[in-house]
Amino acid sequence: MNVSGERTFAAPRNTVWHVLNDPASMAKTMPGVESFDIHDDRRWTANVKIPLGLGGLKMKVDMEKIEEREPEFAKLAVKGNGVGAIMNMETSFELSDAADGATSMAWAAEVKILGPVGSMGQRVLQPIVNQQVQHVLTALDAQVQEAVKQ
Amino acid sequence: MSETTLAPAPVEVQKGWGGQSVKRKEDKRLLQGEGVFVDDVKRHGMGYLHFVRSPYAHAHITRIDVSAAEAIDGVYGTLTGEEVAALTDPFFQISSAPGANIKDYALAVGKVRYVGEPVVAVVAETRELARDASELVEVDYEALPALVDARRAQDSDAPVLHEDAGGNLMWTGLYSWGDFDAALAEADRVVKIPELHFHRFNSTPLECDGALVEYNRGVGQWTIHTNNQFPGFAAIMMGPAMRTGLDKLRFVTQDIGGGFGNKITSHPQLVVCCLLARKLNRPVQWTEWRTDFHLSMSHGNERWFHDTEVAVKDDGTLLGFRTKALDDAGAWLRYEPLGGVIWAQVTPGMYRWRHIELDFTQVATNKAPVSPNRGYSRMQHLWFTERVIDIVARELDLDPVDVRKRNYIRAEDMPYETPNGCVYDSGDYAATLDLALQLIGYDSLAGRRADAEARGKRLGVGIGSTLDSGTNNFGQSQLINPELQFSGNNEVATVKLDIFGEIVVTLGTTPQGQGHETTAAQVVADILSCSPDDVHVRAGHDSYWNSHAGFSGTYASQFAVTGLSAVKGATEMLAAEIKKLAGAVFGGVPAEALELADGGVRIKDNPDAFLPFMACGAIINANNAGLPEDLDVTLNCRYVYRPPFEVPDVERKFGNLTLTYAVQIHVAVVEVDPETGSYEIVDYAAVDDCGKRINPQIVEGQVMGATAQALGAAVHETYEYDEDGNLLTPNFYDYHVPHALDMPPLATGAIESPSPFTPLGTKGMGEGGGAGIHAICAAIQDATGQIVTDSHNPYQRVWELMQQ
Repeated sequence: MNVSGERTFAAPRNTVWHVLNDPASMAKTMPGVESFDIHDDRRWTANVKIPLGLGGLKMKVDMEKIEEREPEFAKLAVKGNGVGAIMNMETSFELSDAADGATSMAWAAEVKILGPVGSMGQRVLQPIVNQQVQHVLTALDAQVQEAVKQ
Repeated sequence: MSETTLAPAPVEVQKGWGGQSVKRKEDKRLLQGEGVFVDDVKRHGMGYLHFVRSPYAHAHITRIDVSAAEAIDGVYGTLTGEEVAALTDPFFQISSAPGANIKDYALAVGKVRYVGEPVVAVVAETRELARDASELVEVDYEALPALVDARRAQDSDAPVLHEDAGGNLMWTGLYSWGDFDAALAEADRVVKIPELHFHRFNSTPLECDGALVEYNRGVGQWTIHTNNQFPGFAAIMMGPAMRTGLDKLRFVTQDIGGGFGNKITSHPQLVVCCLLARKLNRPVQWTEWRTDFHLSMSHGNERWFHDTEVAVKDDGTLLGFRTKALDDAGAWLRYEPLGGVIWAQVTPGMYRWRHIELDFTQVATNKAPVSPNRGYSRMQHLWFTERVIDIVARELDLDPVDVRKRNYIRAEDMPYETPNGCVYDSGDYAATLDLALQLIGYDSLAGRRADAEARGKRLGVGIGSTLDSGTNNFGQSQLINPELQFSGNNEVATVKLDIFGEIVVTLGTTPQGQGHETTAAQVVADILSCSPDDVHVRAGHDSYWNSHAGFSGTYASQFAVTGLSAVKGATEMLAAEIKKLAGAVFGGVPAEALELADGGVRIKDNPDAFLPFMACGAIINANNAGLPEDLDVTLNCRYVYRPPFEVPDVERKFGNLTLTYAVQIHVAVVEVDPETGSYEIVDYAAVDDCGKRINPQIVEGQVMGATAQALGAAVHETYEYDEDGNLLTPNFYDYHVPHALDMPPLATGAIESPSPFTPLGTKGMGEGGGAGIHAICAAIQDATGQIVTDSHNPYQRVWELMQQ
């Protein structure tokens, strides 16, 4: 499944870049994070409980930054392991200057869910992903605004 | 809506209980909720089993850690593939090499090969806890590329599932009868069909698989309460793998909520239950979830037919065909590659072509294993032969009805030996087709076409036929693997008179709703001259106490022959013993002078000299002093019915593979909306000829069920996988099984052509659904004018067809 979009943040590009590349800030944007470990500046692990249907899907998610052009582009490989589900995702974002000192972020992700959960969830996956993306972007906006204040 | 039309039977119906639609004995308990299904069986202290399943279609297992799950209060224990590999041997393989070389265990060992494959089993005090605890089992995988398309299985760069087999080829065999090259030379036309595809689907019993297994440490015996429908096969698979004698495996069933063949291959799960019952020293209960059933339990065979050539005369006379069949076995050979020979039971379909060549190849893929599914392997082949008929008719601009009638095996040809040595026992295919056409009003179709046209619709009519070959000769397995030591078939029944004259029947079969208790009682009642109500047929199956033979079970359309013939044999033995006893009691009256009547035995010339069954039972069982010493009577008779089979000729792949051939002809009328491709089945007829019908209502129920199966498969039901090997239709939301409101107006008809080869003139039946799948294909072809090449035709595919 491919999802993509564009979002503008009322903050300079360096600030947005810093938030996007700070694992601690990113952890606050992800849905259902229960714990977060930083291995080095390119590799992080999170234990998450992704809202799915009436229950939650517990996953151990490993993230690795596989490409970077500061301060405009980064690509991450994300691999999640849960009961009955494997998530493979490649996501990237590209930052550019927008009007009035704002920053525009074009982002894209290719998400693959394998296993029985993926099989069962085919019909509901797209709306769930869309909803989670909105949550992440809203939380990201909040993190950016917090960074602006500091 | 459903209506029933029964045509007058062309043969005289035997007087008596046989042939009557007696009310089913089973229904009282079932309708009152008093049936006992496997999930109803409870034991003190039992644990519930849940499987941890693979999320990958293909991956190495690099680590398994069950410690977190086992640490939970209420979790009794776990079982991993490594333990299974230490405690058991791989399952015996039916296949010759290369398929023979694969190593199949009850749980994945070192590698997973399809999404949903059981990897670890967890047992806990509640079902919910077992499921929750299974989420704590940590399994690390190293993903491998998945093989999803069987047509790519033998490519040099294809992922290999079973390194032990050296590739994905599991079994291959060339079948050739007659002289196809001579047929080509004689032909006016050669019709070529590049590819036909029969899709993957399955029947869906109301009750999923399950078991409750107890282990008796004192005697080292497992008692397996299960809904497995072929315990004889399960025992043969499980015993050697578990390194135990078959007497240590006791199979018990009572009521089973549908089987359709897919409950034959639950032996891996049963082994897991057995190992855990012994390891944990407590009963273990497993009930399969619906999604697990879809993901992992024995799909029907998916098959392609490539490069088909049909030799035909201009007038539509069929001379022969040549094709390459490619069969997708899925990840494991759990009953395969028997599908590679089962089709040959119906090699020519219903037609007189004599020159046939079929190159059969079966490969493994990263999908759920396949196994028998109602119409097993013959359904695919008969769909192919029917497709050939309609494509040939279209290419030659001939009427499909005329092509069929020109080529049908004729009633006067019966018994008919097919090119590969099978013997079709009886039937009048042309008359069966005429009745089906009559039931849908074939003569008025021109007017209905015009009417549909005026409403913007396109009307199409299609015919589908199947031969429901029943009572296997297991010797056909030697065509797959000459080293196998299986042949013939058998079934057992016992019939006895108990102390108070109760007539008690025990069957070796495992009925799943087919009404065995009723039809068995009808047969017994006719022989003993009593009412079926007086006959007590024990419910279910118990291999420990019941009569039981190597091929006992309920599968492959054979109860009406094997089961009822065993009942007939045992009852006739009992009748003879009753007369022998009465003769002695009456003081030396010969058997010929006695008759059974009114629940007892009497002297023909002196009806007052009457000994009720109660007296007979009491004398032999409880009051036998003074009886003649040489009176060889127990009133407890066991009979093994053994069909008359020879071992097939392995070199020529020639011989009689089944005893009876019921025929089903279905006709469908559809109206297609050319704008959207959606279509409605506006008329439907199904005519069945299964020889002598013991209980016509039960037969008709099977015909309706098979029709529903066909329509589901033709329109809605398909197991679709994505490129990574994820099953996209693993539940009833995406896998739509037709319900009552989906059924079209259905007219059923019957003809009775008794089998000359069976003791009661009966034939096995119930697997005629393939006829309906083809009838829909043919009707769509008729309506759209486009050649239909797939067995599954949802609305979008019909729309695509019309864009060509």
